[in-house]
Amino acid sequence: MSHAARTDPPLPGVIRSFDFPAVHKDRLDNGLEMRSVQAHRLPIVTVSLMLDAGEASVSEDRAGLAVLTGDSLEGGTATHSGTELAEALESIGAGLSVGTGWDATMVSLSCLPERLDEAMNILADVVLRPAFPADEIDRVRGQRLAAIQQRKMDPSSIASDAARRLTYTEVTPYGRSLGGDVESVESFSSEAASGFVEAQYRPENAGLILVGDVDQAEVKAMAQRCFGDWSGKTPERPSQKAEPRSRERRVVIVDRPDAVQSEIRIGHIGQPRSTSDYFPLLVFNTILGGAFTSRLNLNLREEHGFTYGVRSGFTFRRDAGPWSISTAVGTEVTADAVREAVAEVEGLLQDGPTQEEVESSRDYMAGVFPLRLETTGQIASQVAELLLYDLPEDYHATYRERIRSVTRDDALEAARRCIRPDEITVVIGGDADVVRGPLEELGLGPVEVEKA
Amino acid sequence: MLSIPVERFTLDNGLRVNLSRDRSTPVVAVNLWYAVGSRNERPGKTGFAHLFEHMMFQGSEHVPKNRHFELVERAGGTLNATTWFDRTNYFETVPSHHLELALWLESDRMGWMLPAMTQEKLDNQRDVVMNEKRQRYDNQPYGDWDEWIQAMVYPETHPYHHTVIGSMDDIEAATLDDVAEFFETFYVPNNAVLTVCGDFVPDESLEMIERQFGGIPRGGEIPTMPGELTLSPTIGDTVRKRVEAEVPLPRVLLAFRIPPYTNEAYYAADVASSVAGSGRASRLYRSLVRERRVAKDVVSHTLPLTTGAGMFLVWATGFPDSDPAELEAALAGELEALESVREEEIQRAISLTETRLVSEIQRVGERADLLSMFDQFFDDPARLNSELDRLRAVTPAQVSDFTKDFLGPDNRAVLTYVPAETAANAKGAS
Repeated sequence: MSHAARTDPPLPGVIRSFDFPAVHKDRLDNGLEMRSVQAHRLPIVTVSLMLDAGEASVSEDRAGLAVLTGDSLEGGTATHSGTELAEALESIGAGLSVGTGWDATMVSLSCLPERLDEAMNILADVVLRPAFPADEIDRVRGQRLAAIQQRKMDPSSIASDAARRLTYTEVTPYGRSLGGDVESVESFSSEAASGFVEAQYRPENAGLILVGDVDQAEVKAMAQRCFGDWSGKTPERPSQKAEPRSRERRVVIVDRPDAVQSEIRIGHIGQPRSTSDYFPLLVFNTILGGAFTSRLNLNLREEHGFTYGVRSGFTFRRDAGPWSISTAVGTEVTADAVREAVAEVEGLLQDGPTQEEVESSRDYMAGVFPLRLETTGQIASQVAELLLYDLPEDYHATYRERIRSVTRDDALEAARRCIRPDEITVVIGGDADVVRGPLEELGLGPVEVEKA
Repeated sequence: MLSIPVERFTLDNGLRVNLSRDRSTPVVAVNLWYAVGSRNERPGKTGFAHLFEHMMFQGSEHVPKNRHFELVERAGGTLNATTWFDRTNYFETVPSHHLELALWLESDRMGWMLPAMTQEKLDNQRDVVMNEKRQRYDNQPYGDWDEWIQAMVYPETHPYHHTVIGSMDDIEAATLDDVAEFFETFYVPNNAVLTVCGDFVPDESLEMIERQFGGIPRGGEIPTMPGELTLSPTIGDTVRKRVEAEVPLPRVLLAFRIPPYTNEAYYAADVASSVAGSGRASRLYRSLVRERRVAKDVVSHTLPLTTGAGMFLVWATGFPDSDPAELEAALAGELEALESVREEEIQRAISLTETRLVSEIQRVGERADLLSMFDQFFDDPARLNSELDRLRAVTPAQVSDFTKDFLGPDNRAVLTYVPAETAANAKGAS
């Protein structure tokens, strides 16, 4: 066989089409939406129950209630202790995971297809009939309080927590710590957990997602047995709108004396998941800081060696999540790194990306799409997003087309609307004695110092 | 029960090739394992294998700096590399029609890396790696744990005595000559395994591999590792280190020398570790976290290392007022009690492992990585299919014997973290 002339990269072969697997829709009489997806590659199935029980639905004085309730589900039911439930699930290879975010609570597990019936029974028992015994509530509360202590000494969390707080007004839930603060966590009780379940764990607005080697008729019968008697509807969501704390550019240093690195967060309020700029913003952000070859990473890492890596991104939620640049740099080069990052944002908004960058970013996003759908768990998360954010049924089928149709002007115009360098808050978790002077010299705006 | 197909070939230059086909999604993974890691570093050169891995992304004769990333991202692929004790792996997952691009990039740096190396690139990546060390180790609570643990579990003469990230001084001192020597010694086809997994046409892909890699000359014999490779099966004592540091909560880590992964006896250690700490029904979670509530969290795992000995590792994080001595006693007590392990506990632990493994290998990249690993460590990539059977064959008596032989006080390294402030208060009171 001949060896290659190496000068140019080899040409691509014949492209094979990829279709998002068909999503079968169904609904139980109590309003529980069902989605099932056939995926036969390996003997595994993922089941996820998505509940309209996000942390954003919790009032400030009870902050953390959704998270703590989710964490307490493993504490047992009226008839089985937490350990008995864990033994029953794990003996069939299923580990229960409960994830609580701002918009929803997801209860999920994966198991072999032949154990699905048993696993779904236990999952339903855990969600519909939790007992919240007092000693388990004490335990979860103690663990959460200890986790709050840990965040206070973790450099990355210190910067992220400050950035979140400084991005939003006091009354916007997104400005809080997702798991609550010391005071609100201390008030958590069995009654509070039961009350939250009573109000928020309801079949209308909930979704049951099954992905794997499953038969539609069989899983519907299983779901009917497990969830058929459940009823009710969650209350109207609070109409609180996410508002920024400030529209003035400023710098806040959270002081960590002798820190060897500065954790940097630069950003402001972003956009909701429903924004019509969604695809143009994805393309623009990929160019700015969403890939290894983004402008920020090539500058801060590959040209200057300031950092191990830097990313930027919009966090899209029901309401406007943040847009943020995030990195960690050597203490001595903190102001240099901030200057370069801000200059990259301003430059890209001013001159716009090159046509080559736009094409490359589109190709990257369209190309990695199937890689995000390899596992039953990944597919379940994608299908849950359809329900959660009320996305059109052809969303996945048309995703790559929509990415590819974003023009340079679309991307630039959307970015100019949604990224505003004059309104950024720059948060530095680092050694104020060293970084303050050089940051003041940048002239970005007022520089304040807080204690960590 | 698993039946992942795999076909093996060896090129004339010694490159071992595994092809594992799965056409369910039009993506393909390219995965290369080089049998070189931190174990091959000589004194004064710690961290070099990892720094070298960074240099592999700085271009090669036909690929300018940043081009490797640009081409893969433009193709709609993902890529990365990692360095570990026994190996360094490089991998791309790309849409299947771009398979040859990934092969071209990997072969160009295997065959033609050195002409592209410059002092400027080395200086830049030294800075990047030093920032990686600061971000992931120096600026992290408990971030230096592996440095202490490795130094206690392995003697100074053993290649696992030092960490993969290495020391700042050694990273700082690396030269272009070091890069050239390391490349010529270890980055040769006869020291590598290439796995292609996913959507490809078998004959075509083998031709591509031959076309891209076939012209790279075979390297020399791979030198034996530096240091004393044989070591006694146990540490011989309880060794301790107490660290007062900027940590929020006390934490106690226990580490034990165990048989290496390449020894059949390793599987009993793996099962013992799962029974101890995998899942919410596991002994440590149930006892320390749920019932006695002396720990906020517990972690248990084994390191499947191949040179002389592996490692069994557990840790527990306490609460602000926890007594580290009590945490240590609770951990040690639960581990020693594994002598009385029951069949059903083993069943449960293996069921969880099975679900985890099957979930993991749904990704072609993970599957390719495991096939490369089984090839490098066992000269048998298809061993992936029978790995669960080896775990299932472990009996309660074997776990019990393992516990007696390896989890006692004559084979124990204990690392205790105490919050600096608490330590100061305690001193003030005494």
